[in-house]
Amino acid sequence: MRALHTAATGMTAQELNVQVISNNIANMRTTGYKRQQAHFQDLLYQDMRRSGTVTSEQDTRVPAGIEIGTGVKAVSTARAMSQGNISPTEKDYDIAIRGEGFFRIEMPDGRTTYTRDGGFELNAEGELVTKDGYRVAPGIQVPQDARSVSISAQGQVQVLVGGANEPQDVGQIAMSRFVNKAGLQAIGDNLFLETAASGPAIEGQPGEAGFGNLQQGFLEEANVNAVTEISSLIAAQRAYEMNSKVVSAADQMLTAASQMFRG
Amino acid sequence: MENSLLIGLSRQVALAREINVIANNVANVSTNGFKARSSVFEEYMMPNARAEEFPRADREFAYVIDADTPLDLSQGATEQTGNPLDVAIQGDGFLVVDTPQGERFTRNGAMQLDAQGRLVNSDGFLVLGDGGPIAVDPQATDLTISPDGVVTSAAGQFGQLRLVRFDNPQGLSNAGANLFVSEEEPMPAMDTASLRSGMVERSNVNAVLEMTRMMDVSRAYTSIAGMIQRMAELQRTAVQRLGEIA
Repeated sequence: MRALHTAATGMTAQELNVQVISNNIANMRTTGYKRQQAHFQDLLYQDMRRSGTVTSEQDTRVPAGIEIGTGVKAVSTARAMSQGNISPTEKDYDIAIRGEGFFRIEMPDGRTTYTRDGGFELNAEGELVTKDGYRVAPGIQVPQDARSVSISAQGQVQVLVGGANEPQDVGQIAMSRFVNKAGLQAIGDNLFLETAASGPAIEGQPGEAGFGNLQQGFLEEANVNAVTEISSLIAAQRAYEMNSKVVSAADQMLTAASQMFRG
Repeated sequence: MENSLLIGLSRQVALAREINVIANNVANVSTNGFKARSSVFEEYMMPNARAEEFPRADREFAYVIDADTPLDLSQGATEQTGNPLDVAIQGDGFLVVDTPQGERFTRNGAMQLDAQGRLVNSDGFLVLGDGGPIAVDPQATDLTISPDGVVTSAAGQFGQLRLVRFDNPQGLSNAGANLFVSEEEPMPAMDTASLRSGMVERSNVNAVLEMTRMMDVSRAYTSIAGMIQRMAELQRTAVQRLGEIA
């Protein structure tokens, strides 16, 4: 009985759906997190009676045939790359991106990764680094005796050094964007890698055409909406239950069939 | 006497098919743009030889056969996704997807851009506009899709999504992957069909209905199994009794 297998594909799909939703909920306080959504597709169909086949010599045809589907499969867990809320933190090196673009991060293994998480710190050498200590491209060095730091909407980093009243430029934060940002590969730690699907990184600076602005002292919250996630979770759980009901119905039918001739 | 067994069997085969259809509907309860199928049965007159020389003629009897699994083409619920490239189709219309096997039609409006900035579906197949694929300028931001399918950004327009309809949508055949294939040439959709950007159309499977149908099918199958069993017992008793007399 095919229904058993069909319902099993349904249960597998809903299990994946719950996984995706639970990851969204788990990351609802993760800076720069972008929610994922599971997308599903129907599997192949078996044509028992093809529509359009001839049914008599008078050229009458089957208007709609018998097609029996074989279940469902997950096809993508696409990210919604919409803007998250921006909340104030009053920390000098917390930077939120308003609009398009990613910060470029230089990994210790030489790769370049991309992030929307602008919660940066200084390391012992005064370099701007992520919470994991990776350098923010193109490398910004804040002098040891800097009194105050200001980062402009265009990504220009200026400091007041010693007793000087004139701010001094120490660098410019770089940004990248992608044609298909949903195609980026997440590697954890709020970082993304470029892929063949995302297209090559387009480099630029905050405030340029097509790029967003920076906002110092703010962080971008996750774009997870708790109410939506919980209602999706309920829907997924019910769908799982219903598929399991189909399994037991098909099982009952099989039992009835196997018990028809006792002795 | 075998007739009742065979008629019962034909019903069981039909019911087994019906539960397969229901299982597929329930499995696709969260598939975007999915259209549920139901089952339609018809009677099939038994055409075999008759013995007319008896005082009473044989009564005609009929098997049940599944005739059709019609599509339920009603509108599914629309859900907000926050992705500006997702569209929900309101009214009678299908998007056109260019696959290696030819044009396919879908109600699933979850779209993305590929690395070249072209509008594609979840499998990377091009979603066609009126003049072929729709390619978006890589510099463009804040893409929107208008109700009539025009893809626009601040930098200008990039094309209009093609919406089609069919004279006999029941002739559409499922190709899997949320796609339909049609033998009939599609026609441009009417003006009443429109798109809602930032939303997708969910599956139109009615869970409650499917569950009740499923219980129906399961019970009917069990009761026919009981009937067949009783018929078999009747036969066995008859054989025994006849044997005793002889």
